[in-house]
Amino acid sequence: MRKNQNIIGSFDWPLFIGYILLLLMGIGTVYSVAFDPEHPNLFDISEKYGKQIMWLGISLFLGLLVFLIDSDIYRKFSLPIYGFTLSLLIIVLFMPAVNGARAWLGIGSMGIQPAEFAKIGTAILLARYLSTANIKQQSRKTVLIANAIILVPMILILLQPDAGTFVVFTSFLFVLYREGVSYDPIIIPILNAIPIKGIHFKKTWIGTHFIPILFVVIFLSVTTLLLSNSTINIETLGIEIAGYWGVFFFLAIISVAGYFFMRMIFSRRDRKRAAIIAIIGFVLSVMLTSVVDLGFQKLAGHQKERIELVLGLRQDPNGDDYNRNRAMAAVGSGGLLGKGYRNATVSSVQTNHVPESETDFIFCPFAEEWGFAGSLILVFLYLFMILRIVVIAERQKSSFNRIYAYSVAMILFYHFAINIGMNIEFAPVIGIPLPFFSYGGSSMMSFSMMMFILLKLDSQRKDVLN
Amino acid sequence: MNFDSRKYVFIIIFVLVGILYASKLFYMQVIDDSWKIRAQQIAEKRREITPPRAVVFDRTGKKIVANKTYYNLMMVEKNIKNLDTVAFAKLIGWSREEVRQRFFEIRKGEGRYYNRHTGKTTSNYQKIRPYPFIKELTAEEMVKIAARLEDFQGFYKEVTSMRNYPFGNGANILGYLSEVNQQEIDNDKFYKPGGHIGRSGIERFYEKEFRGVKGIKYIVTSALNNTVGSWENGKYDTTAVQAPPIKLGIDIELQAYGEKLLENKRGCIVAIEPSTGEILALVSSPNYDPNLLVGNRKIRENYPKLLANPDKPLFPRPLASAYMPGSTFKLLQSLIGLQEGVINNESGFPCNKSVVGCHNHPSAQNVTDAVKMSCNPYFYAVTRRIIQQGKKPSSEEDAEYGLGRWAKYMHSFGLGERLGTDITGLKAGNIPDPKYYDKWYGHHHWKFSTIRSISIGQGEVQLTPLHLANMAAIMANRGWYITPHFVKGFGKKGPREEYTIKHKTMVERRHFVPVVEGMRRVVYEAGGTARRARVEGVVVCGKTGTIENYRGPLKLRNHSAFIAFAPMNNPKIAISVFIENAGGGGGTWAAPIASLMIEQYTYGKVKPSPKEKRILDAVLLKKER
Repeated sequence: MRKNQNIIGSFDWPLFIGYILLLLMGIGTVYSVAFDPEHPNLFDISEKYGKQIMWLGISLFLGLLVFLIDSDIYRKFSLPIYGFTLSLLIIVLFMPAVNGARAWLGIGSMGIQPAEFAKIGTAILLARYLSTANIKQQSRKTVLIANAIILVPMILILLQPDAGTFVVFTSFLFVLYREGVSYDPIIIPILNAIPIKGIHFKKTWIGTHFIPILFVVIFLSVTTLLLSNSTINIETLGIEIAGYWGVFFFLAIISVAGYFFMRMIFSRRDRKRAAIIAIIGFVLSVMLTSVVDLGFQKLAGHQKERIELVLGLRQDPNGDDYNRNRAMAAVGSGGLLGKGYRNATVSSVQTNHVPESETDFIFCPFAEEWGFAGSLILVFLYLFMILRIVVIAERQKSSFNRIYAYSVAMILFYHFAINIGMNIEFAPVIGIPLPFFSYGGSSMMSFSMMMFILLKLDSQRKDVLN
Repeated sequence: MNFDSRKYVFIIIFVLVGILYASKLFYMQVIDDSWKIRAQQIAEKRREITPPRAVVFDRTGKKIVANKTYYNLMMVEKNIKNLDTVAFAKLIGWSREEVRQRFFEIRKGEGRYYNRHTGKTTSNYQKIRPYPFIKELTAEEMVKIAARLEDFQGFYKEVTSMRNYPFGNGANILGYLSEVNQQEIDNDKFYKPGGHIGRSGIERFYEKEFRGVKGIKYIVTSALNNTVGSWENGKYDTTAVQAPPIKLGIDIELQAYGEKLLENKRGCIVAIEPSTGEILALVSSPNYDPNLLVGNRKIRENYPKLLANPDKPLFPRPLASAYMPGSTFKLLQSLIGLQEGVINNESGFPCNKSVVGCHNHPSAQNVTDAVKMSCNPYFYAVTRRIIQQGKKPSSEEDAEYGLGRWAKYMHSFGLGERLGTDITGLKAGNIPDPKYYDKWYGHHHWKFSTIRSISIGQGEVQLTPLHLANMAAIMANRGWYITPHFVKGFGKKGPREEYTIKHKTMVERRHFVPVVEGMRRVVYEAGGTARRARVEGVVVCGKTGTIENYRGPLKLRNHSAFIAFAPMNNPKIAISVFIENAGGGGGTWAAPIASLMIEQYTYGKVKPSPKEKRILDAVLLKKER
């Protein structure tokens, strides 16, 4: 009895309520998008909304199971769980291809996608490995094993192929960063191999912060290419910024915003450092971006073309850029308050102007029907969920729990950022679902289990000693 | 080591991305309107519904222009799946090669548009758009195809409306429709590519009265261009309104009979109701069946043939062919002479053949007999008096004054100018005035003797058969006319106002009496030139014309002309008949044809007679000499 009370008392209601809210909004949107006047019943199992509710029921049942099982099981059986999900990933490669990818296990609409569940297995094993007592964050062994845990499922997923989930797995790299895994053991031997007299590296800033730096470089490069090849036009202010000045403008805004944000969170003592960091960051990124910009201009024509196509700089509204163009039209036409529930004209399944509008592009009908008001609420809700998980992660005594929680936060963040980013030209069009929202059993079940495992771990955090 | 502070890296990333996304969404959804326009382009379609064109009735209430349902076999390339070309070609009765060719044609040519800004013609063919694979199939043709059309995904039928002419007569009056060209699309928003416009005849003249009001339907379409539903429950939709039926003054039976009479002849008949100016029949021969030029397929097939025909069936002779009027013109010379006071009813002139040739007849002692006998020297003398009135010192100046007055009279009869009839392609003909001859001979370098051939309607005088018929109507009305016109009403409305106004000639009514009596004698008295023009039970007044014509030094067969009206009192029909290269005189061919037309119009039928048989059997087409 004591244990039970403890569970209810330490259950994280805000996260759970956020989860339920997103689920309900998701089902509402699926109902709107896939509405069939001949089967108006929300619970009609022959329609997508009926099925989605069925998946929801199954997910909640799985959640209940998770709550009945002691949370220690995940730590103890992390390797078998990981192994099981890996074996599913291997089995699926021998299945017949659907739409050119061997991603489905099972028959027809009742199939599951093992890649969705591999995220949970990987998160658990990664947490288990990095929470090992006396683990050395600076050792080569740690870096290699941790990366291998991530890389093995990634390779199997690439074989399907499923580019979207492949990209999502890179989110685990950030978890390594949070746990202090340094890339120095790999980088230092390379650097020291260059014979420069009197310089011998023991610890590098790059190795320590390898992952964020890598992503910042990628992010800034892509942003440079996007901005320096387009014109920012703010009609209401009469401002028009073209070419590299767009990048410059963007970096300046980011630096100033970063400075004020750092001032806010830094202690009084460190405030001077905020300005220095902002200025150094600005100068470094200006250098980086101008190099990228110059390099891009020097590229041969066909290489340039390829990059432009991938980045969506070359617009061909009826050709390769069809999906994105339609999606942006749907989102953009929503206006401030939207067209009203079940009034989407561009992205409803009947009109079918936006393909996959009930799965990967479900943000379209939502944004079209609820406008900026709805979109903002959705962005806030996801942001709230992700930040709440960070808060939960940071309050864990067990590093296993913390690492697992960070994995969940990062996966959620990736899905959120890429899925919504596809609709607003911030991310390439790769098919990954919007968590709790998109139609589909696998993603709903895997995200729900992920969430319930986290809630269960969190509710038992006081029982755990290490 | 403790890495707790690294949580800020995460928080910063999350919050930054959140702010970035919210800002972009704000920009896209609230500030930037271009995506709303794009969404409209994608999903909301303005579908214009063109109503069928107005139907046309003749004066007796018979429908002479109707609309008939046709079908287009449409295709959407994106929906075509596993097309069995062999079976499909068999279904539509084409060869495989033709099917392949047509696909190629559509991809290349359909959706082609002219870009005004770049000056280039580009094709915006899209796989998701519907295009007609075969246009304008008849119901019978479609029934065969429709039965198995389900087997071929991506093809469907679409209903269109096209013209149909139950009688097959009056092609040159009614005109034909054809697809609009780019210039017409640019100039008038009503027209969209593939739409139709009146290309000739009244269809062209009354285009706006024929086309009706377009309906507009706002619909939501799917990615495959299928209609999903109406936009805002049809709040902004308007219905298409067909224009009210158009009623013509044409008597289609008379028209048909006229066309029958002129078979194998080159010439025209124009009949007018004198009291209203309504055109009862306007026959141009040779002509064609208007059903030959319905729809693109038929136009493409038949138009070049009609165009290449040496007898020019597309040419509306009664309106656009100007002939010398010959002796019919003598009526006007006597009227002007009487009005000018240079002659009176009892003026007589000897038939002096040394001045100008004539046939054998006693000298005319008054105007009436001169008209009856069509005496050339008599009208030579009358016209000389009109032209040379002796009011100016030199004969050249005198001729300038006289001809000026003469031309004014002529213009008051509507001659030498476009008559303003409601049809396109009218010719003005020619009434020479002093300026005209100044150009030819130089100022004051001509006098009556120079230009004397105009006195008997030869030389520089040129009139269309429509002018001649109007002249007959003026004789019938004794001095006035209403501009000849086709349309007597639009639905419940009457004709255009301009077709209700009486135009008075410069000749007083009293001077018509002796001349009209002369016209009666032409038909009924011994020595008259057109005794073949008699119609039982009706008094016909007429005047023949025999037009000599030459091609260079070569004398061709005479044209045969006749104008008439009947009955003498309270006339119902005025008519002109002009037969090219008929040989003989005006009384030989034109007069009997006119009499048959008058009989047909008066009694609604013609009693079979040797006269009718002679006309029907005559082949005058190939003989010019």
